[in-house]
Amino acid sequence: MRIIEIEVNGKTVKGYAVMRGGVLWTHANGETWTTETGSKRRGGKAGGGLSQNPGEIAAPMPGKIIKISAPEGTVVKSGDVIIVMEAMKMEYTLKAQASGYVSEIRAQAGDQVTLGAVLAKIAVESEKK
Amino acid sequence: MAKTGVKNSEVKLAIANRGEVAVRIILAAQELGIPTVLLHSEVDVGTRAYRMADEKVCIGPATTADSYLRIDRNIEGAKAAGATMVHPGFGFLSENADFAQACIDAGLIFVGPKPETIRALGDKISAKQLIEKANVPTVPGYAGADQSLETLVAHAQRIGYPVIVKAAAGGGGRGMKVIRSKAEAPELIASAQREAKAAFGSAVVFLEKYLDHAKHIEFQVFGDFTGRCVHLFERECTVQRRHQKIVEESLSPSLTPELRAQMAAAAVGLAEKAGYQGAGTVEFLVQDGEFYFLEMNTRLQVEHPVTEMVLGVDLVKAQILTALKAFRIWKQSELTPRGHSIECRVYAEDSYNRGLPSTGELLGLHWPEGPGRRYEVGFEAGDEVTAYYDPMIAKVIVWDEDRPRAIRKMLRTLDDSVIFGVKTNLPYLKAILSHPDFVEGTMTTQFISKYFPEGLESQEPTEEMTQFAQAAMKMVDAGSAGAVGSGRTIETPWAQGWRFV
Repeated sequence: MRIIEIEVNGKTVKGYAVMRGGVLWTHANGETWTTETGSKRRGGKAGGGLSQNPGEIAAPMPGKIIKISAPEGTVVKSGDVIIVMEAMKMEYTLKAQASGYVSEIRAQAGDQVTLGAVLAKIAVESEKK
Repeated sequence: MAKTGVKNSEVKLAIANRGEVAVRIILAAQELGIPTVLLHSEVDVGTRAYRMADEKVCIGPATTADSYLRIDRNIEGAKAAGATMVHPGFGFLSENADFAQACIDAGLIFVGPKPETIRALGDKISAKQLIEKANVPTVPGYAGADQSLETLVAHAQRIGYPVIVKAAAGGGGRGMKVIRSKAEAPELIASAQREAKAAFGSAVVFLEKYLDHAKHIEFQVFGDFTGRCVHLFERECTVQRRHQKIVEESLSPSLTPELRAQMAAAAVGLAEKAGYQGAGTVEFLVQDGEFYFLEMNTRLQVEHPVTEMVLGVDLVKAQILTALKAFRIWKQSELTPRGHSIECRVYAEDSYNRGLPSTGELLGLHWPEGPGRRYEVGFEAGDEVTAYYDPMIAKVIVWDEDRPRAIRKMLRTLDDSVIFGVKTNLPYLKAILSHPDFVEGTMTTQFISKYFPEGLESQEPTEEMTQFAQAAMKMVDAGSAGAVGSGRTIETPWAQGWRFV
């Protein structure tokens, strides 16, 4: 970790930086940011590997599948519990983001899953027609 | 303190815990001149407590069920190292009466209340029965022996929603769920039973009416080896997420002197009835000027530092000395709080993504020193936050003359705290401390779900921050910045472009 001091528009900004695995960590003005080396893209929404597709249920963290609450074929409403998983000793429920039916389940109770792994698919109502 | 040191050179303290509380206990023991033995898991060789303890005994693999929760291995480890006493910290076996008994049976002093006291108070069902005899108000609920799903669902219906289901042997939010309708009752009760079984080895749960605009206020009590008990005033721990405390303070901004006196008397009364020895906490919910007993924790509390800050006491040293029968506790009249103290729990979790846990190597840590600032930290730079344990990195504690100043000091302290390598809840903590409801002291236990249910909105970097990072990047490229990745690469699937962490 290195202390860095630069001038921006006549104002001194002092902070910390460290580089690891192609990611630059910076801290200044009470904020911490990460930047991927070489990347010009900014303001990426913090998605944490979450699938943005409402028809997919992805693991929001690495952990263990406790229960499949809605097996394949179950008709579900947005907000219904599809899968229960455990991480850091807490249970988390993964809920349907859209109404439809469960078209695919890719995990079973007891499985260890990685961050972002797609665990289930929902055939969204509008697509069904 | 009646005595400042322990002259008995044959005393040796084993610590059946990890992380920042192990560090806290080691520091207390060092000041007392007592050597320490850390009973640790395989992965915890990479922690601060491991480096600080005089001796270490590995008691098993990372999984808590095979190490920290194993009574036999903790006892064997303590005996093998020649320890004479055991401090259980909090969590793990700290409220396990069988562990306390096993220590005694093995000739070890257990730093905590007697096993029978833990048994009576630690189990929330029997504690409720005890406190009902002591005539302290409790929340309507069900704490029966019939644990079938049908019975529990029927009682939830009778109590009336919202109802909360809790692990009888638990704490820390595990095995706790709020049920808002009949439809979700079976699923949530079953889930609470599974969490209870996994975390505490017992699936027994109880049900309570869920108070929806209450404050969580708890009293620190302490009993000495003669049976005398005092209270050390209250802590307010109303800001909770998934029933896990995040921000705690002492004193509470919410109590009138009359209510404080009533609650303190109830807490001390319970402790005395139970023949309490050592540090304990009586938790209450307060709503509309009424208070309800919640549970008694028969151990040191995570948030004990705020009490130490306003009263000028050392609860851990007092615990150890009480166990050695070397300390007669404070007179109630000696305990006068001054100023205000706040604690923030710093977790490795993503403030911008529903508070999901984040793991990885801590690439850099900086805790800004200053008057009235205190840090309880279990890690040093280079250590790894793993998925095996609670994702707490540190506790940041401040003290100042009054509550507004303490809030300002905490905000500045969090601004200047640096944690690289994992995402943290620092932005989340600052948003909580800046919220008008918190500033006014009017927050309820619904605070988080009302204002921050999904964490925070993601942000764009400022021009200043962009230029700062670009300058830092150039220095790294030029090879002038230190700690350029030479070790193993950490997994960073989320680090695409800019991220506010």
